[in-house]
Amino acid sequence: MSVLTSLSEMMAQLLREDRRRVVLGEDARDGGMLGLSRTCIADGTLRERVIATPLSPTTAVAHAAGLARGGARPILVFASPLGLLEGLAGLREAARLGWRTGQSAAVPLLMVTPSGPGFGLGEEAAEAIEATLARVPGLRVLCAGQPAEAAAWLHAAAQLDDDDAVPTVLVLPRRVLLADTDEALPDLGRACTSAARIRDGQAATVFAWGETVQVALDAVAHAQIDAAVVDVGCLAPLDAATLVAEAKATGKIVIAHAGPAAGGLGAELAALFADQAILHLDAPITRVTGADAPLSAALEAQAVPTVARVAEAIAHVANY
Amino acid sequence: METTAWDPEGVTTVLDHSGRLSDQSRPPQVDIRAYYKALVGARRIDARLGELGLPMWASCAGEEAPLVATALVARPEDWIYPGSRDTAIAIARGMDWDELARQVLGRHTGGGPALPGRVCADALHVAPTTGALGMHLPLAAGHAQALRIAGRKAVAFASFGEGLTTTGVFAETLALATANDVPLVLVCRSQQWPGQAPAEAGVVGDSVADRARAAGVWSRRVDGADPLVVYATLAAAAERARDGRGPALVEAVVTQLVHEPPPHRDPVERLRRHLESTGAWTSTFQDVLDAEAVAHFDRALAAQRGARA
Repeated sequence: MSVLTSLSEMMAQLLREDRRRVVLGEDARDGGMLGLSRTCIADGTLRERVIATPLSPTTAVAHAAGLARGGARPILVFASPLGLLEGLAGLREAARLGWRTGQSAAVPLLMVTPSGPGFGLGEEAAEAIEATLARVPGLRVLCAGQPAEAAAWLHAAAQLDDDDAVPTVLVLPRRVLLADTDEALPDLGRACTSAARIRDGQAATVFAWGETVQVALDAVAHAQIDAAVVDVGCLAPLDAATLVAEAKATGKIVIAHAGPAAGGLGAELAALFADQAILHLDAPITRVTGADAPLSAALEAQAVPTVARVAEAIAHVANY
Repeated sequence: METTAWDPEGVTTVLDHSGRLSDQSRPPQVDIRAYYKALVGARRIDARLGELGLPMWASCAGEEAPLVATALVARPEDWIYPGSRDTAIAIARGMDWDELARQVLGRHTGGGPALPGRVCADALHVAPTTGALGMHLPLAAGHAQALRIAGRKAVAFASFGEGLTTTGVFAETLALATANDVPLVLVCRSQQWPGQAPAEAGVVGDSVADRARAAGVWSRRVDGADPLVVYATLAAAAERARDGRGPALVEAVVTQLVHEPPPHRDPVERLRRHLESTGAWTSTFQDVLDAEAVAHFDRALAAQRGARA
C-alpha cells in the first residue's frame, strides 16, 4: 500500500471517530492535491465535513483556529509548506490564541503539510520548514519519519481532546509520502510528543527526523558500526528528557537532518546536549545536513544528507 | 436639516441632528436609557484609560455607538472578536470591574490579549485581541462557522476600523465567509475626516459597504453618530446571519472627538438630545450616570494598585 493511500484512509477514519472533525484545504472537495481527502469525499456520510478554502493561507489558518475555538476539530491540509510560510501571521496568532484568553483555552487545530524533496520541485523543497515552524511559540510541531508509521502519526497528531490542546503541525516529508509500506501501523505505540530510539546501539547515537530517519538507519548499516538511531519525532516542544538521556548513553552524537545547517533544529539539539550532557560527551557533536543554498529541481535531493555522509560522521565520532 | 462638511454622504439615519426621530422611523426595540447609560460609561472609562499612560493605546471617543451596540445586540451564546481600540465592547457586555482593571493594568501573569489596555472576557464570549493586524476577522469567521456546524443559532461579530479594509485578510475573510455562508457580522467603523483622509484610512471617498456588496456580502452604511440606526442595523444584520442567510457587514461612519466636530457628530450627545426630546433626560439623571460610570472602575483600579503596594 502507498503511504498516501494509508493517510487518505486514516483521514476518513478520523472523521468517523469524531463528528466534530472537519477537513479543510484548497481543493479538499476534489480529494486534495495530495489526495488526503479522497477517501472522505468518496464516502457520502463524510463528504459534508470536507470544506474547501479560498487561496489565502493566512486566512485559512486563522479561520481553522476560529473553528477550533468554536468547538469543531479542524484538520487543515496544505498542498505545500509554502502555505504555512505565507500564512505565518495566521499561524502565530493561532498558536497563541489559547494563551491569549488567559486560561490556556484549548485550540484543537491540526495542520498537515508536506515538506522536503521528492516531487521534483526544487526551491522550497530545500528549506526544512520545520525549523521555521518550531520557532513559533505555542505551536506543536511533529514530523513523521518511517513510512509504516505515517498514518499512525496522523492519528496520534489528531488526538487533541485535552482541555489545553495546542495547535499542531504534522510535517510529512515528501519522500515518506511517496514511499510504499507493507503494513501501515494503526498506532504509533508511543506518545507523539516523545522522542523514540528505533535502533539500539552502543558506539554512537544518530538523532534524525523525517526522511532522514531512513537515511540514518541505512548509514548505520553502511558504516557497520553499532550505533543507536533516535527518531526525534516531536520537534517543538522538544522531548528534552529523552533526548538528553539518549545523548548521555553513548556520548558520541551525530545529528542528521534535511535542510540548511544554519539556524536548523540540529543547532538547537546540539545546544541542548552541550547544556545538559557535556560531561558525558566523548566526541564533538557532529551535524550532517542538507545544502545551505536554494536548490533547483534537478538538484533537490541535495536537501537531504546522503547515507555515505552520515555513515562517515558516525565513523568519525565512534572512532574519535 | 442643514448638512455640513462633517456629515457623511450616503448613510442611513433615524435621528436628526437635534435627536428627533425622522418622520417614517420607528425606534428600534432597545431600552434607550440603558443604551445611553452604556454609551456614557464607555465615554467616561475611555477617558480614564487615556490617563493611565498605556503604551500604544488610542481613544475610541466618538466611535462608541457601534461598539456598545454590538455588545447589546449580541446574545449570550454569540461571540464577539474586538479590535484593538474596542475595550468598550467588553465593558458594555458586563465585564467584571476588578478583572477589567487587572487586565488594563497588565497585572495578569498568564496569557492575555495583545497590547496593554486591551482585554479578553472569554466567559462573556468576548475574544482576546490579536497581535497581527486584522487576524480577528478570519478567527471570527471560523468561530461563526463552527457554531453553525454544531447547529447552534448563534453568530460571531468582528469589530474593526476602515483602515483594516486595505489588508489582505479583510478581502480574504469576505471571500471565505461568502463561500461558506458563515453567520458572521462584520462591524466596520469608517472615520469621517474633517479634511483629506490619510493614506492609512484606505477609504478615500468611497464606502466599505459598497466594497462588501461588490464581494457578495449583504451590507449597510449608517451614520455612526446616530446610535439608534446603528443598533437597528446591527440587529437586522445579526438576525439574518442567525437565520442562516449569510454574512453581513455594517459600516458605521464615525467622527473621532479628537477632531473637535460639531456636537451633533457625537453619538452620546445625539442620543442625549433624543432622550431630552422625549422628556427622559434630566441633568440629575446625567449626574448619576457620570458618577456611576467611573465609580466602579476607579474603585477597581485603586484596589489593583493597592494590591501591588
